[in-house]
Amino acid sequence: MKLLKFELLKLRKKSRGWLGPILVFVLIMTAFPLTVEMLNKDIDQSFLSVLWIATLLVMMLATEDIFLEDFNDGTLEQMAIKHNSLSGVITIKIFVYWLLIGLPISLLGALYGFGITSSADLAIQLIPILMITTYIFLNVFSFGNALSLTKGSILGILITMPLVLPLLVVLGKVVIAINLGMNFLGFLFLLLGILSIIILVLPIIISFVIKAHLE
Amino acid sequence: MKKILVAENLSYKINDTKLFQNLSFSLNEGAAIHILGSNGSGKTSLLKIISGLTKQTKGEIEKNYNKDICFIGHKNALKQYLTVEDNLSLLEIEAHGNLKSFLQLLGLDKLLDVMVANLSYGQQKKLALLRLFLNNSDLLVLDEPCVGLDKKSQDILCTFLSDELNAKKALIFSSHISLDISAEVLQLDKA
Repeated sequence: MKLLKFELLKLRKKSRGWLGPILVFVLIMTAFPLTVEMLNKDIDQSFLSVLWIATLLVMMLATEDIFLEDFNDGTLEQMAIKHNSLSGVITIKIFVYWLLIGLPISLLGALYGFGITSSADLAIQLIPILMITTYIFLNVFSFGNALSLTKGSILGILITMPLVLPLLVVLGKVVIAINLGMNFLGFLFLLLGILSIIILVLPIIISFVIKAHLE
Repeated sequence: MKKILVAENLSYKINDTKLFQNLSFSLNEGAAIHILGSNGSGKTSLLKIISGLTKQTKGEIEKNYNKDICFIGHKNALKQYLTVEDNLSLLEIEAHGNLKSFLQLLGLDKLLDVMVANLSYGQQKKLALLRLFLNNSDLLVLDEPCVGLDKKSQDILCTFLSDELNAKKALIFSSHISLDISAEVLQLDKA
């Protein structure tokens, strides 16, 4: 609980860390309907695609310095010495990022969904999908950033992109299911399954990667 | 006398550069080791091996202590965008009984609301050293603890470390500034 409190304090006080990505998301989602013909009936259909891509980009942006700052100032060194389970620390860190960035974006995404499509059902359906998707993206991009901790974020993005692409395919299927009025719960459970595996596995892998960097 | 640390034939190399080879030493409770050596001789690497951050290339190291290590490295582990008070809370020492007296001793008591970024390097170093002053560890591992400290703060540090040694704690440190502490010297030379 102490660690959760500390991580919350750190991210909350570093407003550019959480507010920046949220504002970028707001900018993209606000700019989208302004840049297309408002009478275009396809706007409802293309909205979801833009939403997934905006979420992907913003999560990538949000995790850019998730470990870098702690690595540079020696906090990670102290954590590795003090805490037997570095993976636990990483899990909490990613959870805090999700709480302050992923969750607001999920709610904002649903709000934009309602605003653009005028469909309350769609907005409600979007909330769980976005909550799970943002958490998956945060984990995957955190892994990428851990890999490229001292080598710049480009390498991390290149490495994690192949991991993210299958997820975008699933999200594409969700768009089709929603547009055709089909049951999309199967896809939701698939995302939940992916998230369960990622939550268990990635923090452990990230902890090994970070330990290697600390050496 | 309880042996806190026993190192046997420790060797370490980075890529093809051998830093030290077949290094053996032991550290008893209440004793100190001062690691000396030129730049790049492996002082920091040895301290990181002892702290468990790095693995030695060869050799064995036996650790025999109950609590966490107190490791103070080159990096201060302070958050520049937080106040001194917030950083104390991150260091988990905000509720320590002796915190107030150490803050006064180091001249940090009136700076609690100041952002760490606005402190001088020496003040930041003193803030980082509070983790050492309020530690609860059997083994103290310090990498150049005097860098950035004025004479008064260095004296405070020496007095504190002497008291810790009297309290049966073990100390291993590297420092280019001589400290007024009774310590065995461990000379590292490039292999």
